[in-house]
Amino acid sequence: MIKAVIIDDERNSRDIIALMLEKYCPEIKIVATASDCADGIAQIKEHQPQLVFLDLEMPDGTGFDVLTGTQPETSFEAVFVTAFEKKFLHVIRCSEVELILKPIDKESLLQSVALVSARIINNSSLERYQVLLENFHNGRHAAWQLLVPAANGEAHTIFLPAVDYLEAQLDNCLFRLSSGAVIKAERPFRYYVDLFSTLQFYQINNMQMVQLPNISQVDAGNGRILLKSGTVLEITERRKRDLLARLHQ
Amino acid sequence: MLLLYCYATGTFAIAERSPHDTLVVTSGTVAADTDLRPYVYSLTDKNNNLTIAQVADRSFSRNDHLFHGNKKNNGRVNNCWMQLHIRNQGSIPLSSIVFAGWHDFMYWYEKAVADTPRLLMATGLMLDKGGVERWNHYGFKVNVPPGETRTYYLHIINKSYNENPLIPKLYSEQGFSVLHDTQLDIYRKEAVIIQVLLGMLLVFFSISVINYVQLPDKSYIYFAAYILGLILFFALRLEGKPYQLSFFHRWPMLKYYWDIPGLLFCFYFMYLLFGNNFLNLRERYPFMERVFTWVSTVVGGLIIICMYCIAMEQYHLPTIIYSYVYFCTLIPLLAVFVALARRSRHHPLVRFFLYGSVCLYLACLGSFLMHIRPLGLLSALGELAAPSILLIAGVLMQAMFFLAGLSYRNKLVHLERTRTQELLIKQLNKNKELQRKLNEQLEELVKEQTTEILRKKHELEEQRKKQLETEYDKKLTEIELKAIRAQINPHFIFNCLNSIQLFVMQRDYEYAQKYLSDFSYLIRKTLDFSRRNFISLADEITYLNTYLGLEKMRFENRMEYEIIVDPVIATAELEIPAMLLQPYVENAVKHGMTNPQAAIGKLSIHFNQVASDMLECVIADNGIGIARSRSLRTLPKHHQSSGMDISQNRAELLNKMYNTEIHIEIIDRSAQSGDDSGTVVKVLIPQL
Repeated sequence: MIKAVIIDDERNSRDIIALMLEKYCPEIKIVATASDCADGIAQIKEHQPQLVFLDLEMPDGTGFDVLTGTQPETSFEAVFVTAFEKKFLHVIRCSEVELILKPIDKESLLQSVALVSARIINNSSLERYQVLLENFHNGRHAAWQLLVPAANGEAHTIFLPAVDYLEAQLDNCLFRLSSGAVIKAERPFRYYVDLFSTLQFYQINNMQMVQLPNISQVDAGNGRILLKSGTVLEITERRKRDLLARLHQ
Repeated sequence: MLLLYCYATGTFAIAERSPHDTLVVTSGTVAADTDLRPYVYSLTDKNNNLTIAQVADRSFSRNDHLFHGNKKNNGRVNNCWMQLHIRNQGSIPLSSIVFAGWHDFMYWYEKAVADTPRLLMATGLMLDKGGVERWNHYGFKVNVPPGETRTYYLHIINKSYNENPLIPKLYSEQGFSVLHDTQLDIYRKEAVIIQVLLGMLLVFFSISVINYVQLPDKSYIYFAAYILGLILFFALRLEGKPYQLSFFHRWPMLKYYWDIPGLLFCFYFMYLLFGNNFLNLRERYPFMERVFTWVSTVVGGLIIICMYCIAMEQYHLPTIIYSYVYFCTLIPLLAVFVALARRSRHHPLVRFFLYGSVCLYLACLGSFLMHIRPLGLLSALGELAAPSILLIAGVLMQAMFFLAGLSYRNKLVHLERTRTQELLIKQLNKNKELQRKLNEQLEELVKEQTTEILRKKHELEEQRKKQLETEYDKKLTEIELKAIRAQINPHFIFNCLNSIQLFVMQRDYEYAQKYLSDFSYLIRKTLDFSRRNFISLADEITYLNTYLGLEKMRFENRMEYEIIVDPVIATAELEIPAMLLQPYVENAVKHGMTNPQAAIGKLSIHFNQVASDMLECVIADNGIGIARSRSLRTLPKHHQSSGMDISQNRAELLNKMYNTEIHIEIIDRSAQSGDDSGTVVKVLIPQL
């Protein structure tokens, strides 16, 4: 049995989360609900839940405020629930914290609950929430940290600017760092392409995505990119012009 | 000559020629004048060392060459002694006068038979100082008592190269006074002529000096010097007549001093210098200029030599020098005249110079020829410049021609100056014209360039305007897009869907259906309005009603709202910008739900007609106010929301685009007073 708290400013939202958990995840027990940040923090401190469903935008603050207000004396896994959130999407995804979009569909709810349940059972590290808050307060994603899920359920924390390029490897994604180190992520290449597309990254071919500030030179004649670390990558003809245009901005 | 002849024959007829050296007077009186030449014996002292004592013992001889009625050039110093015996056979004492002419030094001695000679008179042109009655000095007294014989000695020394007439004569008192009167008469006539000449020359001199002062032309000063030379020369010529005292009696030497050097100075030295300058030979005729300069230099040297000779009492040397110079220059001077004459066509001044020169040249030549017959060739040479009428005329003519030439020269200078001035004026006028043209051109250029600049400026402005417009359009589109997104808050949409989902799950299908149809209406209208700029107020009110209804459903009736429209407003006809109010209403909903003191959020929208062409929309809530709402949100700075700014921007854009004056005022009521709370948004929409 996992103790859970739901914090959302809309009653309809709280009701439907509670309803769906009751229906599809009987192992989770709702111990309390709250309609704003202050109440949420108080409930968490009182009930010491293992899992918290957190709305992002509330009248008196955000879900991050709840996290900041309760950490580190209480430790719990969090699942963000939001109707529409672009602003904090990257921060949350980079730190591998679960996010469910409203209206909530059953599959994603089950998947997220399964994932956090496993973490709770395995007593996994809560480092991801530190990373999340740090990234949130840091603002500039050029200095972000990135949590990369590994095969055994563990995660590597890497400094985002240290990433030279990403490479697809079957269903996994390889992070090639400037130092030459390679980190394997238990996520598909496509996932990171979507996530990083609005950051300082550019997909140069079907298999690789490069971090723009780490490029030292674009050899347009031979369709090659030279990185500052010395690595040479190939770029397709179509993307070359696009890349040059982006670099010139 | 004729006179002389008559005179001579007359004398011969009267006087009884006796070979004896003694003049015997019988009657006690003598004739008016008696030629003494037959009775005078002479002795020439060639060494100039004999005394009266020595001479008395010497034997005298007859020498008729010693005597001459006209001036004579001896070419040497004449130092002679004359001896005359006079016996008075009558009964009364003889008293008469001997006159032998005018000489430099004269000594008159008387000797009784057994006596020693006694000096009676010492006189001479070179000896007498001032204040001397010359007739008395030069008429030597002869007093012989009856029956006695006296011997008289006359010592004459002439240092001058030209000796005055030397004929000893014995005059009675009456005869001497007749001679005195005649000579004085002649002298006076001559003096008048010379004085007239001097006067004229003085006038010329004054004119040239005045001219020089007015117009510093060197030829004037040369001419003045030339005239001054002539003045001095002729003034000294007056001195040559010894009858009475003249200006220079104190320095009798001057007449010798001046004669030859004066001639050289006037007729050669100054003449050449004047010609040189007057004709501007340096430029016009450089060869002649060299000749003139050289000759004048040589003559200058000769003048100095002559002066030296005179100072050394070698008076004959200047004569020799002068005669050589005269004869040597006669032909070359003629050649110079010819050479100059050939140039006269191009040089009008030459004519004046030439006429003047030829006048004097001919006058000199004439004077010379006139003097040859009575004086002989050599003596005539010495008297070349003697003031004969002819010479004076020549000098005057020359001076006048020269003066006329100078005037003509002045005229030429004046003409030249006038021409230069005219040229200058012409040039100045030309310059002025040129300047005017240049100014015009410049003005035109400036005008053109100004127009060009203005055109460019205009173009630039147009371009900037266009650019601004483009930028503006771009921005507008961007803002519009942003505004639309902001208006239909995705949060709201998904929350609505979430609510519908809940109703479905709760099996409240009726509610779910109502919710879904309202939601569909809202989405449809939003899509519709976002394509239009203006919608009717009625449409806006319906839209807001639907929206607020959905929100109310979301917040489980925890909120109330009212829309009050002034009945005078024709809502169907009145148009307002689409989606202008929605963001403020949404904001009001959001804030109204956050007041812990108010359990139910209250929202009111008033539409008022504040003026005939002004619609006022007041959106009021009872929330916590903007200030506190902001302070509650603890988002980091970079996450600040900008929804309200966008609507403000939108209002400005609309104002600019449709040239309206939409005014938005946001009042925080809780900031005004502690009891009251909420936010009031006043939107003033002018009617077109």
